[in-house]
Order: sequence, then structure tokens, then C-alpha cells
Amino acid sequence: MVPKLRISHLGKTFSDLHALQDVNLDVERGEFISVVGPSGCGKTTFLRIVAGLEPASSGEVLLDGRAVHRPGGDRGFVFQNDSLLPWRTVFANAIIGREVAGQVGAAERQRTMELLKLVGLEGFENYHPRQLSGGMRQRVNLARALAIDPEILLMDEPFSSLDAQTREIMQTELMRIWEEGRKTVLFVTHQIDEAVFLSDRVLVFARRPGRLLESVVIELPRPRALAIKRTAEFVRYVDHIWRLIEDDVRASVIEEKV
Amino acid sequence: MWTGARDRYLAGTLSVVGGLLLWEFVSRILIANQLFLAAPSQIVYAIYTLARSGELEKHIAISAIEFAIGYVIAAVIGIAFGFGMANSVRCKQALQPWISGFYATPTIALAPLFILWLGIGIWSKVLVVIFLVLFPVTINTEAGLRTTSERLIEMLKSFGASRSQIFFKVSLPSALPFILAGLKLGIGRGLIGVVVAELFGSRAGLGRLIAQSADAFNMPELFAGVVVLAVAGIVLTAGFGWLENRLVPWTKD
Repeated sequence: MVPKLRISHLGKTFSDLHALQDVNLDVERGEFISVVGPSGCGKTTFLRIVAGLEPASSGEVLLDGRAVHRPGGDRGFVFQNDSLLPWRTVFANAIIGREVAGQVGAAERQRTMELLKLVGLEGFENYHPRQLSGGMRQRVNLARALAIDPEILLMDEPFSSLDAQTREIMQTELMRIWEEGRKTVLFVTHQIDEAVFLSDRVLVFARRPGRLLESVVIELPRPRALAIKRTAEFVRYVDHIWRLIEDDVRASVIEEKV
Repeated sequence: MWTGARDRYLAGTLSVVGGLLLWEFVSRILIANQLFLAAPSQIVYAIYTLARSGELEKHIAISAIEFAIGYVIAAVIGIAFGFGMANSVRCKQALQPWISGFYATPTIALAPLFILWLGIGIWSKVLVVIFLVLFPVTINTEAGLRTTSERLIEMLKSFGASRSQIFFKVSLPSALPFILAGLKLGIGRGLIGVVVAELFGSRAGLGRLIAQSADAFNMPELFAGVVVLAVAGIVLTAGFGWLENRLVPWTKD
């Protein structure tokens, strides 16, 4: 069977910098995959190549067996900053992907309304982004990506700008929403506990050159509640991943100071 | 304690009323010479008599037509130039030196030349208004389109949007506040253009009224012209503020 997403020998160089080197990966339908690693490990570049926002220097990305070269409606991208259009209402923001594809019929409008309800924004359809909190704006961001009914959801550190409590709530919300449709997800984050909590598999990236170091299968039962973060098993996963990237993280922190 | 709306308007109102009273006092008691300074009450009376005779209406109509024609032409061309410059590097390179040059030049000094070319009718004034309004509109339109957030453009790209979709769904709305700011700037410049051009030579218009009043040492009528212009400027600018609140509410809070 063809995997949902196949990445083979993917490489990316920016002038003389090896951002990514020989990344290979198969993702099954409905899998929730997180990507963690120190800053500069190429995890965001990796996601952007899958999205088609950035060309690969070598190798290829196959979605359902078809090569990906440019952005398309089969992938929904959730941005780190919400990137909402300030002059549009919540509803008009959420449906923009459909609008770009020229599909704004009754069915799509209905579906978008349902998604806004699903992400917990029922009653806020006519609000404008400036009237919403950071967490609510990220919910719109998520609904917008889901509204095109993508084959795969690509999420780029979507909760990194939220405060710690809101972030935890959004993690459980994302789990609840994901359980509804079981979309295939690629989720980039720098929070190890977030990656372990959400994922079926955590891809650990290393830097210089950016590469896939290890793929950690998370065998925690689903559905997961926040309390699972305090179990010994959960902590063991976090410790294991932290040890994999610790030296790299320290090196990157020192570099940033210099 | 003064609070809320009452507090906000009180100081301003007192200041204006006090200023007018002081003006009335200085003009009537201290100077007491209508050849040098007219008192507010005399100005109001002058406006009233000019309005009754129908003369004020004639001057206002001429100035308003000159302003409106010039302003609309400048707005259309300015926005078009701004679009062209934002969308084509070649176009920007070709227009930029002219725009920068003319924007920095006090083009109003060219008014006598325009009158020489086009006569003392309305068209020489229209041309002055165009020259004064065109450049701020062009510059703002171009800047607005150029500074469109890359993040928003990328968001739309991620959905596979075409160039024209990006333009109409992101660039244009995000440039709108800039375009409106340019048009707002143009109001003041355009009004100055009309009056100064009329001062240089015209048959009618508020500038003409001011010039002939000055020649006749009729200070109340001179001030009447100035006051009407000031009111026009305030009303147009306030109207624009209202329009901005309607069209680009996301820039206000």
C-alpha cells in the first residue's frame, strides 16, 4: 500500500548551509507525527517543503504517491502566527481556502460553520480577529486549514505564542478535534512534552546538518488526558528525547548568546 | 471632578470661545481699525451679507468645481500610478524620479505658468490641484501595496492562490488605509492649490474673493473667505475620518 506521505532523500541547502540532509520518512494515513529539535535543525524548513512553500534541493515529497512541488488544496497549513486577515470576520477568514479554490457554495459554508463550532468558536463567526484572544485566533487558524478538508494537516509551532495554560488547553482541544476526523498531521514544535502528548510518533531532528536523528514511537493509550503528562511512562519518553537533543540545544543556545 | 465626554470637550470649547472673545476685544478695543483686523462678529456679518447677495455661493461653486475635478482626476491617476509602481519594477524605476522630484517641489509656484498656458478660467486651477494631490496619493498607494505583510501573502499562497487572488484578497485591502491616508493628505493640499492659483489670476472663486477684498482693504470679507475655506477643510477632513472608520475599521481601536 502507498503511504499517505513519503519523503525520500530530501535535502535542502541555503547557499552553503545544509539545512536538511537525506531525510527519509513514511507516514501512514491518520498518523499524528511531531517534529522536534533545536533551533536551526531545519524542522520548519522541512514542513515548508512538504507544504510546497519552499523548493527542495534534492529528493522528493510524495503525497498519496504524487510528487509535491507547489502549495495546493490537499495540504492545510496552520501558521505559527495566526496570519488572519484583519479586515475579515472569523467566518470569512475560515472559508478563504475554499474561496481561493472557487468553492463557496452552501455545502462549503455549512461545513465551515460546523468546523468553527468544532474548534469552539460557535457564536463568534461575525467577530473580527482584533476582538479575539490569542488562543481563539489560533482556533480560527486551525479551522481555516481544516475547512479545505486537506489530506494532511501541516502545523508549524501553532501554540508557541500562547501562554502556558492556554497552550495546554489548546493541546487537549487539538486532540479532541483530531479524534473527530483522524487527519494525518505533521506537527512542528520545540516543546518535547507537547510532541509526546499529541503524537503517535515523534521525529527527533539534529542540526548541522539538519537531519532526522531518531523516530520515537509513542505507545501511550488514546484518548489522552492532560494527567498523562505526570505518568512515569510519559516522563520516560520526554527524558529520552531530551537526551537525544540536549547537546545540540546547548550548542544552539550558546550560539544565540554569541 | 470632570469626567468622560464633558471633560474631553470642555477645555477645547473654553479655549475656542476664549480665543474668539480675545480676538473680538483686541480688534474692537485695542486696534479699532477695520483696515487691519476684523472682529469675529464683523466676519460673521460679512459672511451673512455675502451669502444673501448670492456672491458667496458663486465663489464657493467655482472653487468647489475646480477642487472636485482636480481631486478626482488626481486620485484616479495617483492610484493607478501607485498600482503600476508596486506591480512593475520597470514602471517604478521610470516614475520614481519624477514623483520624488515633483513631491518635493513647491509646484504651486508653477501656477502663474499654468495660467499663462490655460488662461484664468477653471482649468489652470484644476491643473494646480492635480499637481498637488497626485503625488501624495501615488506615494501612499505604492507604499501601501509594497508593505503588504509577507505572512499574509504566504498564508494565501499556501492555499494555492494565484497572483491576482493575492492582489485582490490581501494586497489591495491592506493598502486601503494607506490609500485613504494619501487622499486625506490631498484634501488640504488641494484646497491650498485652488486658493493660491485663484490669487494669481481668476474671475471668481474664494481666492478671487480674498484677493479683491485685500485690494479694497475690506478685512471682514477677506476673513469671510478664509473662514469658509477653513470650514470646508475641516468638514472634508472630518468626512474622510468617518469614511475611514467605515472602510478600514481594523486600523482603529
